[in-house]
Amino acid sequence: MIAASASLRPSQTAVPRDIGFFEWFFDADSWAGATGILASLRDTVILCAAVTLVAVAVSVPAAAILAHLRRAEVSSTWLVSISRAVPTFAIAALLVPWSLERGWGFEPWPIFIALLLLALVPIYLNTYTAIRQLPEGPVDAARALGYSERSILTKIEFTLASSLIFSGVRVAAIQVVATEPIRAFLGGDGLGRYVRDGFGQNNNTLVIGGIVLIGGLAALTGLIIAALERLVLPNGVRRLARQQGDTSP
Amino acid sequence: MTPGPLPSALVAQATNPIIEWEWVVEEWDQIWRAIVEHVTLTMMAMALGLIVSAFLAALALRRRWTMTPITATTSLIYTLPSVALFALLAPVFGNLSRWTAVLPLAGYTLLILVTNIVAGFQAVPPSVRDAADGMGMSRARRIWTVDLPLAVPFIVTGVRIATVSTVGMVTVAAIIGQGGLGRLIFSGLRRAFWTPMTVGASLSIILALVIDAMILAIGLWLAPWQRRRKGATP
Repeated sequence: MIAASASLRPSQTAVPRDIGFFEWFFDADSWAGATGILASLRDTVILCAAVTLVAVAVSVPAAAILAHLRRAEVSSTWLVSISRAVPTFAIAALLVPWSLERGWGFEPWPIFIALLLLALVPIYLNTYTAIRQLPEGPVDAARALGYSERSILTKIEFTLASSLIFSGVRVAAIQVVATEPIRAFLGGDGLGRYVRDGFGQNNNTLVIGGIVLIGGLAALTGLIIAALERLVLPNGVRRLARQQGDTSP
Repeated sequence: MTPGPLPSALVAQATNPIIEWEWVVEEWDQIWRAIVEHVTLTMMAMALGLIVSAFLAALALRRRWTMTPITATTSLIYTLPSVALFALLAPVFGNLSRWTAVLPLAGYTLLILVTNIVAGFQAVPPSVRDAADGMGMSRARRIWTVDLPLAVPFIVTGVRIATVSTVGMVTVAAIIGQGGLGRLIFSGLRRAFWTPMTVGASLSIILALVIDAMILAIGLWLAPWQRRRKGATP
């Protein structure tokens, strides 16, 4: 129980109601401190980054190996139908009492697990279909040249599929960032706290501030991952993806 | 009924069973009302979503160039953070209005529904369409009696995915005082009493599965040839 209490930050954002949005947003004091925007932003970014990284670490190898072995065809079509339907809020709510009982506090585990389930699906699906739908030519050629199955997967299939894999990661990351604010309504913090506290105190400045921050971060996420894609993917792969009509920006 | 701050210290200390069945029996009226509200919100959102997507899909099929902007807009709506969108509309319609919840919920269904309706109509074999034209059917008659039935499996798939995700999203609408079973979740959380939380969360998941199965059954009834085809090609 001590751990649970220690990990809680019961502090609320308090802003006088007669202060307008711009006055609040462009005040250095709003950004500093334990309940400041910077701290909340850091909380959100760390959680979202952790969720996305773990989802990549789990989904990409699993999907790549299964796709290479041509296994688990049925389960991936089944996954398509649930990919957009993961009830993140309900899952997180179910996990809260369980987490508190173990003394792990409101966060991060309930929201982490719920967001992870949300992120796993698009990454898995994109990786699987990307590798499964590659032209046979390069793989056959590599096999004829004496590549081991492992090298075929890591050097040929994975490289050729990397553009589509990346778009799966982008979709997942955007969904995670867009869903993360529910955390503030389940005993946690993060950027959702401004909307929560704004509702609680009937303070529109905070609500608007929360909307702007959440929306801004969601928009920024797409841009950051697109930039990352540019940085990481080989030029040839990107050109290939463009030629094949992958219209993802 | 918007959630205020949590009495955190109290909540953290609270230890009570994850579910107390006596409460479920005693408060069944309240639970039932939450289920009804949940289903009502889902159906309102789906009805609005279907009407709007039918128009958008018809537009996209008639004027091909509109497909790109329609997809771009519906994708953008789909990626909007739910908490922000609900919060944004709360002052416009007021917390007590159902529309504050229904509009964003309907907005989230558009991408899935439009994509599936368009895919369904595009999947109609041109030979079938030619045959219908050759038989002298009017355009409207062909669309209603040939294209639409053949597109039903795709549309039903879209409706299933959209409905299941709407049922999940309705719980989030509890942050603006709507949201059926989501309100049970919040009332449990505020009092550090886990039973309503567990009931609300698990019922919303069960409800999604039940509704999904119902729509699947309706889809098979509307387009019975799917079952035969599935049996023929394993």
